[in-house]
Amino acid sequence: MNTMTMNNKLINTRGDMIWALMAGALCLVGLAGLGNYLLQGHDAYNVYRQVPWGILISTYVFFAVCCTGLCLVSSLGHVFGFKNFEGIGKRAIAMAIIALVSGFVVIGLELGRPLALIYNLLSPNPSAPIWWMGTLYSIYLGVLLVEFTLMVRGMHKYVGYASLAGFIGGVAANSNLGSVFGLLDARPFWQGPFLPISIIVTAAISGCAIVILLMAHRYAREKMPEDIQRAVTATSKIFALLLGVLMFFEFWKVMSAIYGTVPGQYDAMMILLKGPLAFNYWGLEILLGMVVPFVLLMSSGGRSLGTAVVAAISTLIGLFFMRYNMVVAGQLVPLRAEVDAVGPSGLLSYTPSLTEIAITLGGFGLCLALYMAADRYFNLDEQGH
Amino acid sequence: MSQERKKRWVMVVDPDKCIDCKACDVACKRENGMDAGTDQQVYRNWITSKGVEGTYPYLKERFEPSQCQHCQNPPCVKVCPTSASYQTEDGLVAIDYKRCIVCASCILACPYDARYKSPQTKVIDKCTFCAHRIAEGKLPACVDTCPTKVRVFGDLNDPNSEVARLLATRHYRVLKPEQGTKPSLFYLS
Repeated sequence: MNTMTMNNKLINTRGDMIWALMAGALCLVGLAGLGNYLLQGHDAYNVYRQVPWGILISTYVFFAVCCTGLCLVSSLGHVFGFKNFEGIGKRAIAMAIIALVSGFVVIGLELGRPLALIYNLLSPNPSAPIWWMGTLYSIYLGVLLVEFTLMVRGMHKYVGYASLAGFIGGVAANSNLGSVFGLLDARPFWQGPFLPISIIVTAAISGCAIVILLMAHRYAREKMPEDIQRAVTATSKIFALLLGVLMFFEFWKVMSAIYGTVPGQYDAMMILLKGPLAFNYWGLEILLGMVVPFVLLMSSGGRSLGTAVVAAISTLIGLFFMRYNMVVAGQLVPLRAEVDAVGPSGLLSYTPSLTEIAITLGGFGLCLALYMAADRYFNLDEQGH
Repeated sequence: MSQERKKRWVMVVDPDKCIDCKACDVACKRENGMDAGTDQQVYRNWITSKGVEGTYPYLKERFEPSQCQHCQNPPCVKVCPTSASYQTEDGLVAIDYKRCIVCASCILACPYDARYKSPQTKVIDKCTFCAHRIAEGKLPACVDTCPTKVRVFGDLNDPNSEVARLLATRHYRVLKPEQGTKPSLFYLS
């Protein structure tokens, strides 16, 4: 089948062509990274003994959290009965599946021996948060696929049940993802109940931001139906509210980390506040991720789609770096300050390699390409009930 | 038929005897076929300088040799999703290499920084207390090679063992007791 014919929806307009080129370019960059990884293995990454988790882990977390967030926003319609939100459900669930698949691809390239994952089934360890996270996200992917299939086939009678299962699965998988960090007692910056709980708020924020972008893109060239418009306005308002909650959470996270100067926790927080990750933290995570979108959304009252789109893009950039900052800052304080690797600052360092950056970009390219394909091959607009 | 008593392998370390010759590191690498090349991150045991004490000319530098603590409550075993990390009946923390997915969560869970990724096998590795030598009735290579006898290795469940006698008669400490890991390395003080 010729997918390049001009009446094909994938590249119907110039805008579609630009998106397709962007997705293709990112995928090519990702393939270059993959090639180097296949040639050099983990040596192509800048992770090492003291900093074994890098940008690929944080990118996986970003995708997985986005997946849950999309499911949460989608559930407002099918689970909690807000009728206006039913119109965005199918598109949101499609994107949730795509985000999770992209995340799995990225983390698959981070794991040294992904084929050994069979032992997740053959010799499971239920005391391991990663076992729960992997298992729950795998089940969750299955639930989302069922939910999407039911939506595509118009079996609305069962969509509600599948959505409820998706909502429960999403919350469970997402908080377990937080526990992968929160239950590492050796790392005081991550340890504690904060991450498993707060990650749900950031998931919902990602979900709101992506839903706004998906709908803005979908109705870029035609009038947005009224129910969708109401849903997008409501999403923008929820988005603003959640950003407020997130800033409140962030304030107390910082306060609790610096108040008692607990070793490992305090030092890691200072890395963010005025250390090597200060620009990432203040400029990208706080300003772009929280303050700018919050001010934009509050000033427009959530009624301007253009403003909401800018706020959504700003937040997603900020959330990407929030994951990166969280993953990296938690490892830069050495467990043994005397080791040779520690520089004069007393801290470890990590900068992603070109291969890691290429695979990260490839993950976004894959996500974009899969979404375009889903938009091409499925009708992602909700049918009437 | 007599029932064999369960062993508990431990190591007693007398840091005051350490001269930082690093023979333990070399013996460990030789015994376990570790080719670190130029990678300074590849090691199973290490010696940390605890700083210089006293005033000139009466100076003394203290060293602290260390390695995997073979904890009785090992966080690395808890976090391993595929049960690749496990505890043996005689108290060793071991790795079933074929099950390791190299997620590295055990590296992050270990408060002692005792784990690393092997450049040879490409999976996570660490000190095994030279389990293959113990099985043959030999001492771990680092114990065997130490010129000043910093390390004493033995079965703590045997009241006549040297480790049992040392721990019964000397003051000792463990590293990072606040982590609740119950290490099997005891430092004489």
